[in-house]
Amino acid sequence: MAKHADLSIDFLGFKCENPFFLSSSPVSGTYEMCAKFLEAGGGGVFYKTLTTTIPEECSPRFDVQRKEATPFISFKNMEQTSDKPYQDNLDAMKKLKENYPNKLIIGSIMGMDEDNWEEMARDYTALGIDMLELNFSCPQMTYEGMGSDVGASVELIDKYVRAARRGSNLPLIAKMTPNIEKMEIPARAAINAGAQAISTINTIKAITGMDFDHFTALPVVNGKSSISGLSGKATKPIALRFITNMAQDSELKDIPLSGIGGIETWEDAAEFIMAGASNVQFTTSVMQYGYRIVEDMISGLSIYLAEKGFDKLEDFVGIALKNIIPADDIERDFKILPQINYDKCVNCGRCYISCFDAAHQAIEWDNKNRKPTIDENKCVGCQLCLQVCPVYDCITPGKVLFKEEDQFGMGSKTKWKDNAVNKHDVIVGKYDRP
Amino acid sequence: MSNSNNVGVKEGISLKPSQGYLEETVTPFTPFLAMEEAARCLLCYNPPCSEGCPADTNPGDFIRAIRFRNFKGAAEIIRSNNILGGVCARVCPYEKTCEGACERSGIDKPIQIGRLQRYITDFEKTTGFQVLDPPPSTKEKVAMIGAGPASLSAAATLAMKGYSVTIFEEKKKAGGVLSYGIVPARLPQYVVDEEIEYVTNLGVEIKLNTKVGKDITLDEIRNQGYKAILLGAGMQISRTLDVPGLDLEGVTTAVEYLGKARSNDKDFNPGKNVVVIGGGDVALDCATTARLKDAESVTVLYRRTREEAPANRQELEYTESLGINFAFTLSPAVFEGENGKLTTIKANGTRNKSAMKLEADTVVFAIGQQPEDFSKVVEGIGLDKNNFVTSLENGKTNIPDIFVAGDIDLDSIKTVVNSVQGGKIAAKSIEEYLTKAGRKQASCSPMHPKGGK
Repeated sequence: MAKHADLSIDFLGFKCENPFFLSSSPVSGTYEMCAKFLEAGGGGVFYKTLTTTIPEECSPRFDVQRKEATPFISFKNMEQTSDKPYQDNLDAMKKLKENYPNKLIIGSIMGMDEDNWEEMARDYTALGIDMLELNFSCPQMTYEGMGSDVGASVELIDKYVRAARRGSNLPLIAKMTPNIEKMEIPARAAINAGAQAISTINTIKAITGMDFDHFTALPVVNGKSSISGLSGKATKPIALRFITNMAQDSELKDIPLSGIGGIETWEDAAEFIMAGASNVQFTTSVMQYGYRIVEDMISGLSIYLAEKGFDKLEDFVGIALKNIIPADDIERDFKILPQINYDKCVNCGRCYISCFDAAHQAIEWDNKNRKPTIDENKCVGCQLCLQVCPVYDCITPGKVLFKEEDQFGMGSKTKWKDNAVNKHDVIVGKYDRP
Repeated sequence: MSNSNNVGVKEGISLKPSQGYLEETVTPFTPFLAMEEAARCLLCYNPPCSEGCPADTNPGDFIRAIRFRNFKGAAEIIRSNNILGGVCARVCPYEKTCEGACERSGIDKPIQIGRLQRYITDFEKTTGFQVLDPPPSTKEKVAMIGAGPASLSAAATLAMKGYSVTIFEEKKKAGGVLSYGIVPARLPQYVVDEEIEYVTNLGVEIKLNTKVGKDITLDEIRNQGYKAILLGAGMQISRTLDVPGLDLEGVTTAVEYLGKARSNDKDFNPGKNVVVIGGGDVALDCATTARLKDAESVTVLYRRTREEAPANRQELEYTESLGINFAFTLSPAVFEGENGKLTTIKANGTRNKSAMKLEADTVVFAIGQQPEDFSKVVEGIGLDKNNFVTSLENGKTNIPDIFVAGDIDLDSIKTVVNSVQGGKIAAKSIEEYLTKAGRKQASCSPMHPKGGK
């Protein structure tokens, strides 16, 4: 068989078989569920968050956001912590660790106050599981001072991490909320108080849509609804941004990260790892497709890494970070003009519409022949046309033009010249400003 | 390029009046279209498409791999289960196998599994992704007769297990029915050649122009150290009907007609007024060949109704769209000629008193095929009256070191994909046989050398 890279990777001293984990959620709520995922090849589980008081749940509790024919691109849920008896859940975690000693078993806690955090941490530690995740981030808890309320408060984080630490000597992972401007601040507080790692993102406070008959948000519960947590593919860009922020933060840069947010494919997972995560967690994709998605994650990532020549997954962690730079450091000396392959063009005119209505009126439209042509002078190389073209490989990056000297701040009046620089060089970063 | 000439006869076909004989009819998916099609897949629990594949190519898993952007993983799934994945993607009777089982039909129409399989096998090739690395061949020598789908599949399976395989092929090209019996518009030769190369790259040797029984005997093969022999010779003889005028010039068979068209592209004479007799895929291939080779008029004559014809529906519609005539519930009664050359076919209704008279200079029998007589080549082999090998089970025959797979096996379903599976099953039986024989030999050989001289 083709070469597959070894996907094993260390996380806080535990040698994980691979970086694919269930996140603490409805998909990791019983022994049987977690066992099925581990049997399918998963590297470990973050067992569903427990509280010592079982929450009351509503029905229905989910809504989805669709786009055209795509089955949902994001998912909203109103579920809280486990609805199963506390002791049953503890027994399940214990049994998981006993039966799957080589898989990473992490318990997720949400305490009500300091004593409760400490007591739960102690209960969990007695189970023989590997680590604890501290849930500071669920946005739909019905109790004040729990969930994402904690994640937004440096004081509460400090108190609760210390409480958990008193109850346990296991590695602690703080799960952070994205419902905040600078996640680095509470994340630093968690680390300073004794957590060893950060996992993020939890769900984003959201409304997926409104009901047109009952005039409320979705889902409708007895004529009402609430803001609650959004997950799924649409949240990935936001999650990747937070992971990158964490990994690039001067105080957090050596802290192990566990990435969460819209992961469905091996490519999604690889993106989080490139941005600095040592492993990834997912739920929404499992809700939609089942645990079997992990098979393609393992297969796809191991083939990719082998082909790219990575001997171990560790070498891939954070590999993109040095190339994600502040916007003011981005090269702005050239433009790459799009080129249209007329053999592939189906004459739909979508590029023309987008360019005229939303860009720089740089495409001319020959209505008789239904043919678009790019005006090199007007085109700024934004490549919107390339993004909207419905035909694969029809509009592609073409000629590279450079600003003539002393053209700073000229905007649409800028003069351009052809320096005969290869477009590939300016894309991959081989071009150095003269 | 405008797509306005796309006619919805068969998915992916853009009908071009000028389509060449060697030009593949079905266009490939672009990456966008492949993903769109994979996204249509319902990702069923226990996917019935996978159960519907006779060769265990596992479409449920490879479509899921595409859906989750694991394209190379998809290539692994296909190639490791079906060494002729690219061929099967083009010639499988999907409507009876994977696509026929597709639950998406409950919503609108099945996933185009064949085209997705082709997309992945094309992708595998263009990216140079190598799925199978052969282990060094350290085990026994196995011989195979006939380099068609069954032998190629068995050979690849055994080569992957470390056996050293030689295939003896009487023709100058390997591939059997793939190289001689299917119209290139459906299966271009380059696809066949590439997949044969895949098999030879696994260490399988193919000896061309070597007819077993003529150029080499079975005993000679045995004496050269081959410990097991697979009979995978296919069906080389076209059946005909006992019709007056059978010996007129212009009366031919599907095997001859398709074989000549494919291997002798320039000199092949398709005929002017061509009549094809039969209602299966082979008959359609003959008719398409005649049409694409510029015969003036092509008529398919079939003894039953259109609904009863065993041919693939999409192929049937495609053939009709090429302007080929069909005459159903008619059977040839007499061939008439002048100076020994066919001029006229008279046919009678099979279900009423209809009669038809057709001008024809060429008539092609495509009403079924059967194997050559192997009773002299493999002495003692169990054959039925039509020369099919009466196998025991899993490709074993009444002779311990002789195995059978593919169309020549009496019990087989006569398709490429079933032959691929037959090859895999026979390979397993061969492995079991050789392992057992090896063990027996090991246990019989004395612990200490006899004698002291």
